[in-house]
Amino acid sequence: MDFSLSEEQEMFRNYVRKYLNDLEQTKIARNYLEGNDVALKSAMDGLAELGCMSLNIEEQYGGMALAALDLVPIYEEIGAVLLPGLLLETLSLVVPLLQKYGTKEQQEKHLPKIAAGQETWTIAWLESNSSYRPAGVQFNAENGLLNGKKILVPDAAIADYTLVVARTTAGREIAGITLIIVPTSELSVQPQLNIDATRKSAALVATAIPYDTTQILGTMDTGWGILQEGLLAFNAALSSTIVGSLDKLVAMVTEYANIREQFGQPIGRFQAIKHRIVDMKMELETARSLSHYANWAYDTHAPDRVEAIASARIYATEAFNKLADHSVQIHGGIGFTEELDCHLFVKRARFYENYLGSTEQYYEQAATALGW
Amino acid sequence: MGTRIKGETTMDFAFSAKEEAFRTELRTWLENNLPQGWLDGTFPLVKDTKDYELFLRQWQNQLYEGGWAAIAWPKKYGGRDATLMEEIVYHQEMVRVNAPALVNYVGIHMVGPTLIHIGTEEQRARYLKKILTGEEVWCQGYSEPNAGSDVAAIQTAAVKDGEQWVINGQKVWTSFGHMADKCFLVTRTAKFEKKHKGITCFLADMHQEGVEVVPIISMDGHHDFNEVYLNDAKATDAEIIGEVDEGWRVIIALLMHERTGIGAQVFTLEQQFNELVDLARQATEDGESLLTKQAVRKSLMDLYMKTRGSLLNYYRNLTKSLKTGQPGAEGSMDKLLVSELTKQLLAQSISIQGHQGLLWKDDAVVGKSYWQDNYLYSFGQTIGGGTSEIQKNTIAERILGLPKDMGR
Repeated sequence: MDFSLSEEQEMFRNYVRKYLNDLEQTKIARNYLEGNDVALKSAMDGLAELGCMSLNIEEQYGGMALAALDLVPIYEEIGAVLLPGLLLETLSLVVPLLQKYGTKEQQEKHLPKIAAGQETWTIAWLESNSSYRPAGVQFNAENGLLNGKKILVPDAAIADYTLVVARTTAGREIAGITLIIVPTSELSVQPQLNIDATRKSAALVATAIPYDTTQILGTMDTGWGILQEGLLAFNAALSSTIVGSLDKLVAMVTEYANIREQFGQPIGRFQAIKHRIVDMKMELETARSLSHYANWAYDTHAPDRVEAIASARIYATEAFNKLADHSVQIHGGIGFTEELDCHLFVKRARFYENYLGSTEQYYEQAATALGW
Repeated sequence: MGTRIKGETTMDFAFSAKEEAFRTELRTWLENNLPQGWLDGTFPLVKDTKDYELFLRQWQNQLYEGGWAAIAWPKKYGGRDATLMEEIVYHQEMVRVNAPALVNYVGIHMVGPTLIHIGTEEQRARYLKKILTGEEVWCQGYSEPNAGSDVAAIQTAAVKDGEQWVINGQKVWTSFGHMADKCFLVTRTAKFEKKHKGITCFLADMHQEGVEVVPIISMDGHHDFNEVYLNDAKATDAEIIGEVDEGWRVIIALLMHERTGIGAQVFTLEQQFNELVDLARQATEDGESLLTKQAVRKSLMDLYMKTRGSLLNYYRNLTKSLKTGQPGAEGSMDKLLVSELTKQLLAQSISIQGHQGLLWKDDAVVGKSYWQDNYLYSFGQTIGGGTSEIQKNTIAERILGLPKDMGR
């Protein structure tokens, strides 16, 4: 029995943490929301230098060929500072898909650049008034032409490539959906405001943009199943990122409850406060256990990996919204301001709640995987 | 980091071959020794009777004969020197067969280990074997009407009179008190400014004139607890464990012996969750399985996540114990989570039965009142062994570093 991260993994965490501390943690996100992309670019370059971008990429493409569990400490640390950008999407959605379904040419073209921190990816899935379900995918890619509009595409403005979920055979079913690799510059990027300004959404519009078969990831019309496989890696990684945020929230409220005095004593002495913080801590540790297990289950192809990963994702996203809420309340008036970080966590929690799949769908996915 | 073989993982959830052999040995023994009808649920069991007590004592003796009574104890005192992981396997297997209750739970898990740790050799010779065989069943004399969560506030007084100690006071919530031969009795022998000082622990005899046991009937209708009145009860110096006035240390030492923490409850919770899913699958409403209802699926998924989470938390804390050689304060988190979750799960088991959830005892339709009985029983879980509120204080202060509570 050994349910813990290894010493090496914890050591790597410390490098990343120290680096992000030097950059003043959420300062990167605050700069980014004010329109300063340079701070993020420089942070990403630094993380790439530490080796973060190459961890799970095969050695022949300049990577370290490690596994999802090795990324966990990195994700926890970037979650703690609410790092903006597409690290998660690039490393834990696109990389696993390129490695499993990409052609040799696609792998050679993209993986070395991703490993070097020179290429980031986003994913275009949702459409106006649609859901994440197959029927919602109507963006047309028949006859070698892209036609349609995608919405809420994350950080499209800084993405070199976009993985477009498109329909190559008309219909509402799973069959007929294809994943297409498109340079973002070929699409029209129209910024969209979302509640979390540290993640910048955009609508992507294509009008008769040509593409060829070398841009298809996997095979034509079978993109849905491929996407689901990629989402397993992504959701395990997302849960770890959120665990980092939860950990930071618990640390923030604990520190504040020790310092802030009312009625002549630290507010952390009042059980109304301290017990609420314990409730937060309990949710944090349960989220952490589910997340670590989910990544292990992904790496080892455990028979319960679908329900394990869905559970980790649902639990983490739900806990994130609850804990961010608690953090505002415990900080009182100052928690309601833009000055403290609480509001950044509240907004990021909402951003992730229904990100690349809805909570409702993941509940159903897990229940079905359990044979219910 | 590059030295690892590709595809190899750093975590390990498997049991070793030696641990699996231990499991097989225990499983085989249980199959051969559990009473006829136990495994298929046809064994007649009427709680709260003298026959039930005799049955439990006999089961305890069978465990002793088979070498399964106290596996964690050292071999020289009749144990097996079991490893932490073997204890885990033991809990899993006992839960799996829903083994009869351990009548000498207090003796095996609390008093025995404490005697081995800080008792005298004479005391070990006098008490240990009888704990194992079930010849002497133990209870715990901690709580009092005015000392519940605040154990150090006890008022039961022991006064030295010549060669004897004379004890007066009242204990309450004494599990097994009505069956017990001996009591681990916490008394006040002196008053100091600090109330943790001046406490003395006795290995008191329950079969004496000055001890009166009065039953308490719990909300589930069962007789698990008692009041114990001490009117000039007697004890000797030889029956003191630890030192006079330094009993608080003994109490702390006793708590430290719970090295697998709430392992048995974790595995019970996991089992009850699976049984609840089976209930939802099999129970029908107008011909439709309850498991097809959205609301039921959602609530079961919530329980699934939390049940898995609590098991995994337990394994994570266990890993820490295995690495450091001792249980940490995280045990409070396990206790809080598992007890609260057990209540939630059992409440859900009543809810999803709809109107049938009302039917009780012989009139219950589903599972012979199994869920109703467990539901009512579960209310005690977040109170006994330290209330949830006390666990939260412990977690806040010892793990999070928040300030001590008011009044302390």
